[in-house]
Amino acid sequence: MSAPDTQPVGGAVLEVRDLSIRFGGLQALQHVNLEVNEFEIVGLIGPNGAGKTTAFNCITGFYTPNTGSVSYRGRDVTKAPPHVKAAMGFGRTFQNVGMVKSATALENLKTAQHAKAGYDVMSGLLGLPRSWRAERALTAKAEAILDLLGLASIRDKRVGGQSYGTLKLLELGCALATDPDILLLDEPTSGMGPDESDELGERLLVLRKEFGLTMLVIEHHVPLVLRVCDHVYVLNFGRLLAEGKPSVIQTHPEVVAAYLGGEAPDALEATQETEEDAALDAQLEAQVHAAGAPEPDALAAQPEREPVAGAPRTRRKPTAAAGESATRTRRTMRKDTP
Amino acid sequence: MTLTASRPVSPPADDAHSSGGREFGPIRWLPRVLVIALLAFWVLVVIPRSETYAPFAADAVIFAIVGLSLNIIVGYTGQLSLGHQGFFGAGAFAAAYAITVQSLPFWSTFVVAAGVGALFAALLGVAALRITGLYLALITLVFGVTLQRSLFEVPEFTNGGAGQPAERPEWLFADGRFYLFCLAFLIGVVYIDYRLTQTKSGRALLALKENERVAEAFGVNVTSFKLLAFVLSGAIAGIAGALYAYRIGNVTGDDFNFTLALTFVLMVVVGGLGNRLGVILGATLFAVLDGYLLEEVGFLHSFTEQIFRTPNLAQYDAQFLGALGLLLTIVLNPGGIAQQIQPFTRWLSGKPFSLHGDSESGPAAVEGSHVRA
Repeated sequence: MSAPDTQPVGGAVLEVRDLSIRFGGLQALQHVNLEVNEFEIVGLIGPNGAGKTTAFNCITGFYTPNTGSVSYRGRDVTKAPPHVKAAMGFGRTFQNVGMVKSATALENLKTAQHAKAGYDVMSGLLGLPRSWRAERALTAKAEAILDLLGLASIRDKRVGGQSYGTLKLLELGCALATDPDILLLDEPTSGMGPDESDELGERLLVLRKEFGLTMLVIEHHVPLVLRVCDHVYVLNFGRLLAEGKPSVIQTHPEVVAAYLGGEAPDALEATQETEEDAALDAQLEAQVHAAGAPEPDALAAQPEREPVAGAPRTRRKPTAAAGESATRTRRTMRKDTP
Repeated sequence: MTLTASRPVSPPADDAHSSGGREFGPIRWLPRVLVIALLAFWVLVVIPRSETYAPFAADAVIFAIVGLSLNIIVGYTGQLSLGHQGFFGAGAFAAAYAITVQSLPFWSTFVVAAGVGALFAALLGVAALRITGLYLALITLVFGVTLQRSLFEVPEFTNGGAGQPAERPEWLFADGRFYLFCLAFLIGVVYIDYRLTQTKSGRALLALKENERVAEAFGVNVTSFKLLAFVLSGAIAGIAGALYAYRIGNVTGDDFNFTLALTFVLMVVVGGLGNRLGVILGATLFAVLDGYLLEEVGFLHSFTEQIFRTPNLAQYDAQFLGALGLLLTIVLNPGGIAQQIQPFTRWLSGKPFSLHGDSESGPAAVEGSHVRA
């Protein structure tokens, strides 16, 4: 590992070319291209329903795309089933926590090491010495991961009863236990507070350094994306909207529009406005008025509610502070479906 | 509300913790060792010497092996098999045919029986890969009944319909000996089952039972592990079938009717899905219920006579009781017998006696025991 923090080295670990998938009448993904290089942390963002998780499922083999290819380190793995990809080095987490709920944390971490357990089924059933030794190694590794994540206290607790934030963290541990080369994290911070999310960001950087990992992360928490990602892809309605450095993406007008304009109407209607939201809106409004006048067509696309407050957001060039508050507004708007 | 208030202040879980740290002294282990020694004496010495108990005990052990076999599919994998008497019968016929017609050596007949059971299970397992729930139950049901009505009626296998004889070797003639012989097989199966739950295979099965996508993300080949569960289960059921053939001495197709398949499922559910000891006890109960228990408690015969006014209903007592047991299990006691005896098994394992299980280990068996619908 040669200072992965500073410079991404090596060729593409994961290369997605022209990926399309259709479910009945819904074109979930359309000509999506992605590239993740060695030791990079790449962000995949986009509004709800943009196809981020579908892209994950195509990459990890849960869905077979209609067209396009997925290659891993130069090898075409488009058709490889999920368990083969897991053995290859694809570690993934799920949006709504993928773990064995009735098993303990330790057992989950041992289950996750299935592909690299180091003994075959038969020698396990017969209880050959090899399997005992391998089992001890599995337990040791599972305990090391628990210690690493600070979860040693729930070692023998059943996973089902734990809090959502703990589950997300343990799920990350399970993904690590599969001994991945590339880690695909689906909203690792959902269910976490801002502090926990920041902590997780630091953790991801540490993990990359320690294990030499490459990561593709679906994330809504913008400060985290800005902090850890080397490159960001933005999906909207199944198409790649933009890509680039996080700082560039942050100010990319189309991205800002997609996040705050295009998809907003439903979400806004569905959400009761709280006092905090009103305060944030006022704050935004003030900043936007300072930035410039609203565009008329963007205005038309906005919901009935306060056209002045909604419209300007679509074209504002946000400062760091404005970005923050916009994210906070978005977070309150998002309907979390665990 | 008043109930909770009147409970002792220190919860039982705390007791468990404090005694866990205590020295492992003779006061603690002596009573437990005595109880285990007494049970072992009864099982290994008293029963084999009894002329009346031994045949029923052999039945019970054979049923227990079938129960553990079925438990792999129902308890661990979360699938349903209503055709287990098919594997069982296939094993019985294979063993009888191998020893009587082919004159193979006694020991090799068990290998043949296991192979045949595994083969049929693999066939059924291939169908089971894509199907779950109701349709799988239906397919397994049809499989078992078809096997009984077709293959188990072929004259070559059934000695022209009279039944295929399966004679034990001389050293196993005594029922007590044969019971111990079966017990040795049960111990072997318990060991395999224990290893299954302790190794990656068991964890893989649990994972795919709960969530196939998670299992796949963890690198589990869901297809092959489902198939493995079926094949392993079929092989064990085949061995049990071979033992059964030698137990009854003459195998006919009628021995493996659908009622038997129902009994197998009932005993596993009433015993406690996914729990080894529970399944063995449930199997024992159902094995001795029909032949022995109801003979001994004659009042049950008069009981049904009183209700239904027909004396010949007595032969259905076992099924009535089985149905009642199932009802009670499902409504009141989803963990089955295993849940009921938990205070005792916990005490045997070195923890203090308490009627309340600790929250961590308590309902796990119950929660994990649903059959996927």
